Amino acid sequence: MASSATNYYDLYRHGSLGVALTDALDELIGDERIDPQLAMKVLTQFDRVIAETLQEKVKARLTFKGSLDTYRFCDEVWTFLIRNVTFKLDNNSQTVQADKVKIVSCSSKKTDEK
Amino acid sequence: MSNTAVGTVYDTIISEVINAVHVDFEENGVDDGALEDLKKTWQHKLSQMKVAQFPWDPKPEPMAQSAPAPTPTPAPTTAPPAAAPPNAPAATTAYTQSTLSPQSSAQSLSLPATLLPNSNAMAVKPEPAFAQVEPGIKQEPGLPPVHQGYNPTNGARPTAAQRAALALENQYGQRAAASINAIHSGIASQPPNPTAQAQQVPRQGQVPQHMNPQHMNPQHMNSQHMNPQHMNPQHMNSQHMNPQHMNQQHMNHQQQYRQGVAAAIQQQMQQQMPRPRPPNGLPAAQLDGSADTLEGGSSQAISDSNEPAVMSRAQIDEHLHAQLAARAKQMEGGGLMLPLKKAAKGRGAVAKRQSADGPAQFDGLDDDIKSEEDDEDAINSDLDDPDDVGEDDEDDDETMGHMMLCMYDKVQRVKNKWKCILKDGVLTVNGKEYVFHKATGEYEW
Repeated sequence: MASSATNYYDLYRHGSLGVALTDALDELIGDERIDPQLAMKVLTQFDRVIAETLQEKVKARLTFKGSLDTYRFCDEVWTFLIRNVTFKLDNNSQTVQADKVKIVSCSSKKTDEK
Repeated sequence: MSNTAVGTVYDTIISEVINAVHVDFEENGVDDGALEDLKKTWQHKLSQMKVAQFPWDPKPEPMAQSAPAPTPTPAPTTAPPAAAPPNAPAATTAYTQSTLSPQSSAQSLSLPATLLPNSNAMAVKPEPAFAQVEPGIKQEPGLPPVHQGYNPTNGARPTAAQRAALALENQYGQRAAASINAIHSGIASQPPNPTAQAQQVPRQGQVPQHMNPQHMNPQHMNSQHMNPQHMNPQHMNSQHMNPQHMNQQHMNHQQQYRQGVAAAIQQQMQQQMPRPRPPNGLPAAQLDGSADTLEGGSSQAISDSNEPAVMSRAQIDEHLHAQLAARAKQMEGGGLMLPLKKAAKGRGAVAKRQSADGPAQFDGLDDDIKSEEDDEDAINSDLDDPDDVGEDDEDDDETMGHMMLCMYDKVQRVKNKWKCILKDGVLTVNGKEYVFHKATGEYEW
């Protein structure tokens, strides 16, 4: 999962922010205004920036409980499918309920090591 | 963590990424416009996801402002039809058509005369009168028209009577002498006396003209309004007989007949006139019914106001065409779609029977299980397998709907109890996005 060039995960590209960026880049490529290589550079920058920002700028904490439906550990990536999840948001004691949530999690060690 | 923090965090990420790739863009010889577009498109697409409130988004107030905005539009749409009501030219053309018609009926005794004076009146009046529509309307809507009709001060009466006498003389010469004399005597002696004038009306074939501009206008106006909408000359003919034909065919009868019927007609007129609305309202309502879909309140308003409206034939044709098109669409939507479905179902049934004979026996079982909706596409049975579709949908929900992307520090399991410590995550739940620095989860398998 790690990007060879920068050693950052590209899993955040599957989030809304990453999807939006990918779509925007696709449009520019479709209009032939940028090269696909340039788009890849943008995405690797995005991988780095979002990882750093989440690490440094975000202080919020979260606890959640639920019943685990499926678990999978492959290539150092944990994938959980949890049902009937209740998220508790620490700073405003707000709870969010969801029928099922898919968690894709990469090892934090890898980014720390390099 | 909270949803509100997401906006600022994402904004920071976006600007940092844009700054970081600025050099790359320059090295590739791409102008700054592309970079700016990238940022805008990125933000726009993110806003469309509505996962959070973003700093670059306009505040929710514009949503409330946009609501009242549409309200002004309905007013203009209703205004144009009201401003373009049926017109005198249309009425006169309809009249000329009706003059060509040989139809005549004794039932319309009171009506034939109405056409001529009104058409004349319309031909003369409307252009000046239309500019000042208000007086024309005010004169007619109420009940008073009855009394207006007998008003001796009305200047139109002698003229019309003289015209009637002339017409009779021209057409029938000596035979009409009695009528002409009666008219002249009526002019000479009777105008000052309202009741005598009223009694004279039915006796003289042409005399109803006198009354018509006042008495019959409400009815006539309505029929004018109705007629342009439906463009039905037959309707016009049946309601308004040509006086000439009337005279030719019924002159002889009328002389005796009307004498006898005079009282009855007058009674009838007096009964009807005090409340001109109901007799008008009925045909107007019926005929307007069809037009309601298109013109709705406007046509109603027109007939209510009895306005001598002006509308060119082309406009009428357009109205009619639009109306017919709308009807046809309705018919297609309601009438043809159903048969198609039924036909498809019928075909599906045939296919089932054929498949029962052939090698596709497996499909036979499937068809029984499947819902009827699938019968149309029964050919592609494999692709339409409802189970597969359901699974695909579930997968989509899992990945698209609620997802957490994060790093894990620790994942522990004791028997069926799982405990994990996650960090630096992005969580999308119920259409909202959350970011967190650290998360702990406990769940059982």
